[in-house]
Amino acid sequence: MMPTHHPTSAPLSAHDLELGYGHGNAGRGKSQHSVIEGLNISLPAGQVTAIVGPNGCGKSTLLAGLARLHAPRRGAVHLDGQDIQHIPAKELARRLALLPQETHAPEGLTVAELIRFGRQPHQGFLQQWSREDARVVESALAAANLTALADRTLDAMSGGQRQRAWIAMAIAQQTPLLLLDEPTSALDLGHQLEVFELVRSLAAAGKTVVIVVHDLDSACRFADHLVAMQAGRIIAEGRPKDVVTTALLRELYGIDCTLLSDPVTGSPILANMRRAATPNADNGMQASSQACVSGA
Amino acid sequence: MDTSSPASTTGLGDLSDSGSSADHRQQADVIRPPAGHWRLALPMAGNEAALLIDRRALVANLGLLLALLILGALSLCLGSVTLSPLASARALFGQGSAMDSFLIHELRLPRLAAGIATGGAFALSGCLMQTLARNRLATPGIIGIDNGATAFAVASVVGLGVSLAPPALALVGAATATALTFGLAGGIGTRGYRFIVAGIGVGAVFGALTQLMLARVDIDTANAAYPWTVGSLNARDPVSLKVLEVSLLIGLLLSRRIAQALNVLRFSDSVAAGLGIQVTRCRRWALMLSVSLTALAVSVAGPVGMVALIGPELARHLSSPRGVPLVGSALAGALVMVSADLAGRLMLAPLEIPVGIVTAVIGGPVLLWILLRPTRKVP
Repeated sequence: MMPTHHPTSAPLSAHDLELGYGHGNAGRGKSQHSVIEGLNISLPAGQVTAIVGPNGCGKSTLLAGLARLHAPRRGAVHLDGQDIQHIPAKELARRLALLPQETHAPEGLTVAELIRFGRQPHQGFLQQWSREDARVVESALAAANLTALADRTLDAMSGGQRQRAWIAMAIAQQTPLLLLDEPTSALDLGHQLEVFELVRSLAAAGKTVVIVVHDLDSACRFADHLVAMQAGRIIAEGRPKDVVTTALLRELYGIDCTLLSDPVTGSPILANMRRAATPNADNGMQASSQACVSGA
Repeated sequence: MDTSSPASTTGLGDLSDSGSSADHRQQADVIRPPAGHWRLALPMAGNEAALLIDRRALVANLGLLLALLILGALSLCLGSVTLSPLASARALFGQGSAMDSFLIHELRLPRLAAGIATGGAFALSGCLMQTLARNRLATPGIIGIDNGATAFAVASVVGLGVSLAPPALALVGAATATALTFGLAGGIGTRGYRFIVAGIGVGAVFGALTQLMLARVDIDTANAAYPWTVGSLNARDPVSLKVLEVSLLIGLLLSRRIAQALNVLRFSDSVAAGLGIQVTRCRRWALMLSVSLTALAVSVAGPVGMVALIGPELARHLSSPRGVPLVGSALAGALVMVSADLAGRLMLAPLEIPVGIVTAVIGGPVLLWILLRPTRKVP
């Protein structure tokens, strides 16, 4: 596995990207605030890319921008060389699947029914259920290890199972690209592992996966490519082993720590963490106040 | 881990990617529909069209249709003069006496048609509004359309220097209220909330204007304007009714067209967008349909309350959670309207209670009963 920082065959890339909220009617006064400015990124094909950074650094905004939930103020996102703004909505949903942080399903929906919605971009008014649809839903259930729970309603499932069901819906879209926004943030350790292993198996099947993660240890262990963001900019990217340094962690989170190496996998592990007594702590404060603004 | 890759797993085993559509058609029975559905395969030129029919929704709709037919028949037979079912049927098909014929064709049938059309329109627009705002309480009524229509119709009755008939003016009023709400909210907004709040304000102003007009005129004029403030099927305008009937049919077809998108709109906006739905466009369509249907229904029957809430709620209760019950809502709304009108005609006969009062008096408890009942398990 070669760590290529700028692969020639990046399926998804952004150039000089500027993203912000405040178009439309919300908060006219502060509408000019940009969360992300002048950002360049290209995602290595067939690998798992993890985006990490402090709260409000623009991770989720970037992911939403890459999935065209926000139109860029400047710059462009390219999918296989094509400007993402020019791809019809339905076609885009066949090429790129997004699992947002805010997931909420109608009451009483079962796992299989949820996953069936992933087939929506492949269906039409007169093509509501094909042989392919049946096959893909079955295999998405199997991939997420949910076959036995197919007829269970979502409300009657554990957080980890529910999150796997949502990922299975994204899998059923059969896209070569999957963007997952903090799929593990509300889960306990065991359930987090379930999700991460599922993500690895997707990459093993040739998919390109982008995942926003909070837990740096997991990001280092399960991602091939790490993107560290701070205040709307990418401050480091590359193989986790090469990228994660004590200096970076201090800049990102305002913490000091000792970096160990996992005896089995060799990925970096953070130990003896403590808050750094440096002005960098202020950066963190600024970033989180920006989060409040952008979330409003 | 590798075994779980979607590419390597074939759920049904026996198929390859090759094969013409003719082969597929022969094996159509092999394709397993999702649980609770029938798959309806129609051979079409070149390709096969496949529709999924939700069994529970179908059963619910057939049940509602049957109930509507029974109640419709009842409302043709019952009234100040009771006709036997046979006599009404004979009159209906032009075989009865002149008196029966007059009763059925001139009085009861148009009234039944008005009940079905307005009930269907109110409930369908309620269902659309609730789906687009993701709020079970949202109805076109609370965004001021009803009040606008009422104010204009009352203005016409009390003779505020306008020569248009009340139904036409009700339509103008509904359009004015909608335009005002739109203008003040500056569009639909991201979730429709802003629109709803602006609509509540506009509705309050029109409601106050109506009260003011009624307070300033003599009692006979106020009495004449009264049906327009509560909703009644008594003074239907045949032209408005025709327009509504045609529009309801078109509205049902159009809403079926966006039904799949509406289903997905029940998820959060980002999920819907991720599934390839053009969220804003879908919402705009639904809003337009909802507002126009309500405006046309108000021009026929006045502001009948509660139907836009009870109809969709009843349909959702009977139908499966897999989809938005558009047709079911229209049927349930028609059922509510027809039964409320029948009750209003019979309860204190020969005195007639306007249908809007019955829907409020009976509708409120019915709604509570639906909401408070423990939810049934989906089979």
